[in-house]
Amino acid sequence: MDQEALMRQIVEQVMSAMNKGVSAPAAPAGGRMTAANYPLAEKEADKLKTPTGKPFGSLSYEKVLSGELTSDDMRIAPETLEYQAQVAESVNREAFAGNLRRAAELIAVPDERLLEIYNALRPYRSTKQELLDIAGELDGKYGAKTAAALVREAAEVYEKRDRLKKF
Amino acid sequence: MKSKRFEALAARPVNQDGYVQEWPEVGLIAMNSPFDPKPSIKIENGRIVEMDGKTRADFDMLDTFIADHAIRLGNAEKAMAMDSLDIARKIVDINVSRDEILDITLSVTPAKLTEIVGKLTIVEIMMGMTKMRARLMPANQCHVTNVKDNPVQIAADAAEAAVRGFAEMETTVGIARYAPFNAMALFVGAQAGRPGIMTQCALEEATELQLGMRGFTTYAETISVYGTEPVFMDGDDTPYSKAFLASCYASRGLKMRFTSGTGSEVQMGYAEGKSMLYLEARCLAVTKGAGVQGTQNGSVSCVGVPAGVPGGIRAIAAENLIAMLLDLESTTSNDQTFTHSDLRRVARSVPQLFSGTDYICSGYSATPNYDNMFAGSNWDADDYDDWNIIQRDMRIDGGLQPVKEEDVIKARNKAARALQGMFRELGLPPITDEEVEAATYARGSEDMPNRNVNEDLKAIEAMMARKVTGVDFVKALDKAGFPDVAQNIYNMLRQKVAGDYLHTASIFDKDFHVYSGVNAPNDYHGPMTGYQLSEERWEQIKNIPNAIRPEDI
Repeated sequence: MDQEALMRQIVEQVMSAMNKGVSAPAAPAGGRMTAANYPLAEKEADKLKTPTGKPFGSLSYEKVLSGELTSDDMRIAPETLEYQAQVAESVNREAFAGNLRRAAELIAVPDERLLEIYNALRPYRSTKQELLDIAGELDGKYGAKTAAALVREAAEVYEKRDRLKKF
Repeated sequence: MKSKRFEALAARPVNQDGYVQEWPEVGLIAMNSPFDPKPSIKIENGRIVEMDGKTRADFDMLDTFIADHAIRLGNAEKAMAMDSLDIARKIVDINVSRDEILDITLSVTPAKLTEIVGKLTIVEIMMGMTKMRARLMPANQCHVTNVKDNPVQIAADAAEAAVRGFAEMETTVGIARYAPFNAMALFVGAQAGRPGIMTQCALEEATELQLGMRGFTTYAETISVYGTEPVFMDGDDTPYSKAFLASCYASRGLKMRFTSGTGSEVQMGYAEGKSMLYLEARCLAVTKGAGVQGTQNGSVSCVGVPAGVPGGIRAIAAENLIAMLLDLESTTSNDQTFTHSDLRRVARSVPQLFSGTDYICSGYSATPNYDNMFAGSNWDADDYDDWNIIQRDMRIDGGLQPVKEEDVIKARNKAARALQGMFRELGLPPITDEEVEAATYARGSEDMPNRNVNEDLKAIEAMMARKVTGVDFVKALDKAGFPDVAQNIYNMLRQKVAGDYLHTASIFDKDFHVYSGVNAPNDYHGPMTGYQLSEERWEQIKNIPNAIRPEDI
């Protein structure tokens, strides 16, 4: 290791330790991600995978050219979004972390269905029952509990504010 | 007799602008309206039961969403009980840190936020921006569009804008069905100019998401929210549908931010007699509650409304500051044209440009104004040197730098040729050498030959039907002999797998290293702290080609 690389490593370690002590909470048992692990692509590449199960570190330009990697591989996985949510929490962005967790649940929902559900949530598009059915689907079929809760909440509020589908 | 002085003044550009007196009853007032609600909060059993003078039974949809999602309850009663003037003073106090301010401002209601910033002068608002923006270093965003939707020109303009320094680029369409071509031309052009630039295509919400899912774009911004329920409904969305949409984007590894701005409600006739700034504070609370990392705000496309009332431009800066007080990435408008006066348009941008924001413009037109399909911009390609000189005059970093003509020509030509090659490999209607040549030297679409629009649109339909994605762009560019551009596209796609750039106020450098509010947080706390121009950056900014050098004399 040359001098510069060594100095860089030392500085990074010191900064990482400082971060843990000052702004980012120390990693609790279970190894939660914090700002000190960020960017994950650089510091935690070995922990990241594609939704198809391929290690992040194995992704390469050549594999895209050869067709070994397809667009299905070049997507984010639920575990990665959970890690990013933990990073967000370590810098006190809990609302954003909540969005990332809701998003992690939605990875399993196919593109077309996701667009349909979004459109169904627009005003005057759905009856209360239709929204509750969507919530049931998100919950039952995809295990998307917080996304389902948001849809149920919307169903209640739309009813109260008269924003459900009119016949 | 008529005064010759008054005759001359009447002919000045500033007197061709429209102005209106305050009319608080209908919401024609920028901020500090006598009809704005008084800040209040009441929490029972971990739930807000009263907010800003309304009980839960009287909550509209926005109140409900904000009360349930946007306010940190733990510290809320304490923060709401603090004197707004004290909080305003803390914002400009260098001895009070950004984190300490956020502890207060993330726990208060929209009316309280409005009251706090209402105590600040424009200079104090700028001091607040300097301290409160999320990212350490400022950056800039541009628009890349043209009236012909010519993709070759988009690619060339994007490459030039990349060389000039923009970190983000946005396109949109004249003809909606051209969107996929515009998005891919922007993507390729940006990556040909400088690796790591993020690109988006502003469209109807569902279509915009679809293009992102296909890998044609890397982020989204045109996700509008509004400050009253009727206007929200007119926008064909609710806070709940928009919150769901936000998660859809993140689920595909796409960065996104919401958009809102003062004046939209009164322009659409449903301001409910509230000030523009109070309604914008509600928008920002909805944004926060949806868990979105950031916002494009600062009146944006409604700028004519606040610009017409007293204190309106101050209110625009104040709404940017509220976004920062909510720890949101602040992408601060300075886009749509609002005045005939060059003096006014510079003054309008001073707060964001001098203080520095996460993205000063959103965006700066990378074309002459006649090609800007977002109804013109406050700054355009013809102003590039003015912007550079202002940076040099004031020793500030507005995100751009002076460039050499030969570098720009080279970048434009490369982008146009890369797109030509990619079109050929994807079996799309050919881009001729004549088009490449024209795009290399063009100022705008008047210098571009016409394309066969029908043929383009048919090809787009077929391309979308056979589900072409960003991965196909990589392969096509490699095959066409542009492996470096292909690598850059691949690297952007790879970043979606890791998701680091989903975080607040992210940008990439040319090596795809991400800088965001996580690893490059703004730590300003007084003179000689926070973002300081490096020697290298200052050299870049100050060395304009037309400055006389002593050795030349």
